[in-house]
Amino acid sequence: MATTNKEAALRPSHVTSIGQSRLTRIFIWAAVIAAVIWVLYPFIWAVITSFKTQREALEPTIIPFLQFQPSLENWSAELGLGARETTLALGNSIAIAVGATIVATVLGTLTGYALARFRFGIGNRNIVSWVLSQRFLPPVATLIPFFLVLQRLQMIDTVPGLIVVNATFTLPFAILIMRDFFADFPEEIEEAALVDGANPLQIFVRVALPLATPAITAAAIICFAFAWNEYLFASVMAPKDAKPYTFLVASTSTVRGVHFGYLATRMLIAITLPVVLSLFVQRYIVRGLSLGAVKG
Amino acid sequence: MYKKNRARYFFLFPGVIWILVFTIFPLIFSLYLSFTNANMRNFTRATWNFVGFDNYASISSDLRIGDTVNATIFLSAGSLVSTLLLGTFMAWLFNHDIPGLRIFRSILTMPLFAAPIALGFMGLILFNETSGSINTIIRGLGGGGVRWMTDPWSARTAVLILDTWQWTPFVFVIILAAMQSIPEELYEAARLDTGSGWIMFRRITFPLIAPAMGTVALLRLVETFKILDIPLSMLGGGPGAATQTYSYYVYLTGLRSFDMGYASSLAYILVIVSIIISSIYFWRVRARFE
Repeated sequence: MATTNKEAALRPSHVTSIGQSRLTRIFIWAAVIAAVIWVLYPFIWAVITSFKTQREALEPTIIPFLQFQPSLENWSAELGLGARETTLALGNSIAIAVGATIVATVLGTLTGYALARFRFGIGNRNIVSWVLSQRFLPPVATLIPFFLVLQRLQMIDTVPGLIVVNATFTLPFAILIMRDFFADFPEEIEEAALVDGANPLQIFVRVALPLATPAITAAAIICFAFAWNEYLFASVMAPKDAKPYTFLVASTSTVRGVHFGYLATRMLIAITLPVVLSLFVQRYIVRGLSLGAVKG
Repeated sequence: MYKKNRARYFFLFPGVIWILVFTIFPLIFSLYLSFTNANMRNFTRATWNFVGFDNYASISSDLRIGDTVNATIFLSAGSLVSTLLLGTFMAWLFNHDIPGLRIFRSILTMPLFAAPIALGFMGLILFNETSGSINTIIRGLGGGGVRWMTDPWSARTAVLILDTWQWTPFVFVIILAAMQSIPEELYEAARLDTGSGWIMFRRITFPLIAPAMGTVALLRLVETFKILDIPLSMLGGGPGAATQTYSYYVYLTGLRSFDMGYASSLAYILVIVSIIISSIYFWRVRARFE
């Protein structure tokens, strides 16, 4: 069933394929190429800049070897031996993002399953709306209370503190992705298990969970990407020991004379992992990002 | 019977309790703080007294808010219009018979997953007034260099361009999904009457994607209120306070000046605006969650 969905979503449309003039075709392809260039341009520019020395980075040259001598100086400064700060920050980023992903995905799968399979007195629709509304809240509104509470719990500048923060922000994504997945999934298999005398927990663990692996993976990747990219709370709550990579990037000197090549290197390291992971969740992007509001 | 099984609470509660504890409690705490003069000037522990509506009253006389509101409205409105127009155009493009749609779609959604804080630095490099590649291109085309970093409106435009670059794919994938769910028969029937692609777009495609566009517009609008990372890393809110968005201002007031009571009242204004927008949103999408 999942495959048919996928095919349907990617069905090439024949909307204007009939009677399409040559001119229209040329226009469409030109625009498609322009769109791809528009998206890739900053990435490509950053890659080129990251291989330039400080002086060369200030010149608008593009072709390596011909126009400038590519150098690994920035990459080795950032990732090479002795780059303790980088290793520490990347480690923190991974710990925070993985921790938050686990919490959000586990809770999200349970709650998503509950909302798709059972009926609640308050009304499932109301609970779903309430979960969704969490995404509408401006994060700055909870920043100060979070800071004060974590301070009192002595959890400022700790990895668990940031795991809690990021799990909270990504949980609605996980709940809604999982709720949508289970809602579209036929109940018959689970009902059959029920007839065989299994209890709801057994059904969930043995029947529903294995079938939900692709959706769980997608939810996990989306949560991971958002937690990895988080900066606002990290800048306030993890100034030193638990500093994630986004915060390290932000503290790259921004005063006059900043080294563009080095900056580009850090920027690329910061964005690579989530961007690459996103390639694996294409099927879930529409639903995941619209929080289930649009079927895709 | 199964639907009412008592085990259902075991599944529901962990997530719901988490949200209650870590979102609803902070929000209530924040509301309370907004009626106090909480601050942390000595960097140890915040102290506060109840001050009633004083914070809310001083918002109206806060001179620094003008620029902030300008920047926010410009970015919200600008980003809403530009991402919707570009995203819909891209969806229309890819709704044609284009081989390799899956690969194109993967490439085009990449910006969504790039950390905004890093994007600000991307902007710093691209929009640099003397050596940035954007000004190089503009000069190559015969124009004068734009003062992206020093002129307030140019700086806001630069932030807007970066935000548009990041969020256009969001509109693109959702509108594309909506377009692809339009039944082929409608176009076939229309083709008997007209050969014009524009007429078909206006009469068939547009009315049928309009609900999805409304949904996307509301989601985007709320997201634009959160813009903070890009202007922070690219320009530090400058030049002056030209790119200091509302969220950014709340952040500076609360966590840099530690004027937490006042910052909470500022934040609550934004919460109220967001509640209004989300109410409209739920009123629209209710049917989806039946």
